[in-house]
Amino acid sequence: MRRTLMAFAAITLVVGAAMWFVSIAGAQGGGTVEVEVKYGGTAQVEKLKVNKDTEKCGTEAVVEHVVVGGNKGLANAVASVPGAKGTTKAKAVIDQHGCKFVPHVTVMQPGEIEFKNSDDILHNLHTYSTANPSINKAQPKFKKTMTEKLEKPEFVKITCDVHSWMLGWVAVVPGLAGVTDSNGVAKIENVPAGKQKVEVWHETLGKQEKEVDVKAGQVTKVSFEMKGK
Amino acid sequence: MRLIIWASFAASLSLAAPSSVWAQAGDAAAGKGVYERKCLLCHGEKGDGNGAGAEHLVPRPRDFTKGLYKIRTTANKTPADQDVFRVISEGMPGTSMPAWGVLPERDRWNLVAYLKTFAPEQFKEAPKKLELPKEVSSSEASIKRGKEMFEAIECHKCHGSEGRADGPSRAELKDEWGQPIAPANLTKRWTFRGGATRTDIATRIAAGVLGTPMPAFLDAVEKPEDVWHLTNYIMSLGTDRPGFATLVTVGAVSGAIPDDPNAAFWKKTAPQYLPLMGQVIVDPRNFNPAIELVAVRAAYNDKEVAFHLTWDDPTESKGDGKQTFSDAISLKFPAQITAGTERPYFLMGDADEAVYLLRWEQGKGVGEASANGPAKIAPLAGGEATGAVAFANGQYRLVMKRPLAVKGEARPSFRPAQFTPVAVQAWDGGAGESGPKMSLTSWYYLRLEEPQSSRRFIIPPVVAILTLAAMILVVRTANRTR
Repeated sequence: MRRTLMAFAAITLVVGAAMWFVSIAGAQGGGTVEVEVKYGGTAQVEKLKVNKDTEKCGTEAVVEHVVVGGNKGLANAVASVPGAKGTTKAKAVIDQHGCKFVPHVTVMQPGEIEFKNSDDILHNLHTYSTANPSINKAQPKFKKTMTEKLEKPEFVKITCDVHSWMLGWVAVVPGLAGVTDSNGVAKIENVPAGKQKVEVWHETLGKQEKEVDVKAGQVTKVSFEMKGK
Repeated sequence: MRLIIWASFAASLSLAAPSSVWAQAGDAAAGKGVYERKCLLCHGEKGDGNGAGAEHLVPRPRDFTKGLYKIRTTANKTPADQDVFRVISEGMPGTSMPAWGVLPERDRWNLVAYLKTFAPEQFKEAPKKLELPKEVSSSEASIKRGKEMFEAIECHKCHGSEGRADGPSRAELKDEWGQPIAPANLTKRWTFRGGATRTDIATRIAAGVLGTPMPAFLDAVEKPEDVWHLTNYIMSLGTDRPGFATLVTVGAVSGAIPDDPNAAFWKKTAPQYLPLMGQVIVDPRNFNPAIELVAVRAAYNDKEVAFHLTWDDPTESKGDGKQTFSDAISLKFPAQITAGTERPYFLMGDADEAVYLLRWEQGKGVGEASANGPAKIAPLAGGEATGAVAFANGQYRLVMKRPLAVKGEARPSFRPAQFTPVAVQAWDGGAGESGPKMSLTSWYYLRLEEPQSSRRFIIPPVVAILTLAAMILVVRTANRTR
């Protein structure tokens, strides 16, 4: 009898705790997807000698085509969950600083993006896109910010013709998304529970996708191994 | 496939219909026939710019499948039909695209309609007319403001500080197709792709040039009217078109002639412009010559003759001997000047008849040579040719001098009033030109102006005084006899 009681109490406790947990998670909107992107190949980082504006750009330019961090983690990859509608967040911002696009990869939801020029020299914002109208606008030193529209989902390359090594990417994604850090990890929070497709895109290594079962209130890990092209 | 194109074209036509104020609707089907007869060889059957002639052309022919048009008067990427029509009709200066104004107007509108079928998606969006700020006419103050803005928005990064396309970014520039592209030389308006009127220039500044590194500046100047100040400044950098010389005149001077190419003496001497063409007779041929204009100033005194040459070249190149070579220029004369009209073969002489070269080469200086063809050049020893060169902001200025009269069979002597054949050859080593790969002129004539003696200042007054004296004498004599 006592044993039965104990079992009953335990079950009640567990179920109660589970229900409490679910209700909390539900309030938060779902679970977290932790995307880990690995790359077995070598890093591709181009170094160029700078012949102008060295006081702003430095004497050596570094172009980050493939950045591999600790434990083969691939940085600058975009992980997204197309099925999870994003909520409007703060406007995406890219700074042209030290003759680099900072950050190298920016994620935004369709809409507006702000370009800063904190270099005090001329840059020109030149985008290469097909879904969105391509942009090629000058941003001289006195034009500190410029707002542009990218309204269609697309991975948009940005360059500056004045400083040809400058390279940046804007991932216009309708769903929740993140960019992998130097360890190749991106965390996407508040993903609705259930089966979700996770997409990973990298500027030189292409695209991959996987399906994950997101559990509310839990961290679901998913790992990708990018193949060299 | 063709069906799909036609279907999508029909769809795009029906979509574009409300904005047809722009269009003088052409017939694409009729345009296809004209395209295949006149355009296909360069622009390709599929309109992708990969025709048979494409590889010889710099810049390459337009790829119509991207729907990107350089020259447009619109604020968005869709060009107006009129923009495409104009390029077809007037061609693109400085490129291989000729003016097709010889075609009936109907055919040209039909071509516009057909070109649009190569990129139906791009033409779905109606062209939106670019509104230029209120025009500011040119004045000293406006040009000054334009120069300030030119510096503030750093046009010099590509176009160079004096506009000669020699900016520090010039070598890195690529077009949308990844092909190297040169910035415009702002001192040579006649090579502007989209025309050289004030409105053309202001439009390019405001809207940019699609598919090239040239960005739109309408929102990137301090005040909208700066677009016009910039235009006025750019207009002040050069002339509409140089007047080409037919005869090179060498002025007579009595004093010394300065070696310094930047001396005031040379600034006061009038330039005589000679157009150059690529050498395309022998291999390696030069289909895209880098130097297409040389300004000649010349003077002589009782001892020597001096030539001052000015030409644009974005880089001062000594060359690596593989991809790039030494910049060079030469003046060519017959080895001996005869009275007749016979002249040596214009391509640097031949086996039968040599030519004499007065030349300069980067790193080697001024010298003399004898040539029996473009590949058979032998330096002449014992000459007295001298000179000096200056390079600044994408321009060479060179003085070459030598004695008027010389001895020997290989060098000509110059005499006043004599018609002396002359020609120019130039090499932009930085652009890979060397040997037969050069630009050149055919034969011109050069004439040493006869010395103007001071008699013209003495004889007329003397005649006047004598006439007056004679008249007075006649009057007096007449008075006395009365």
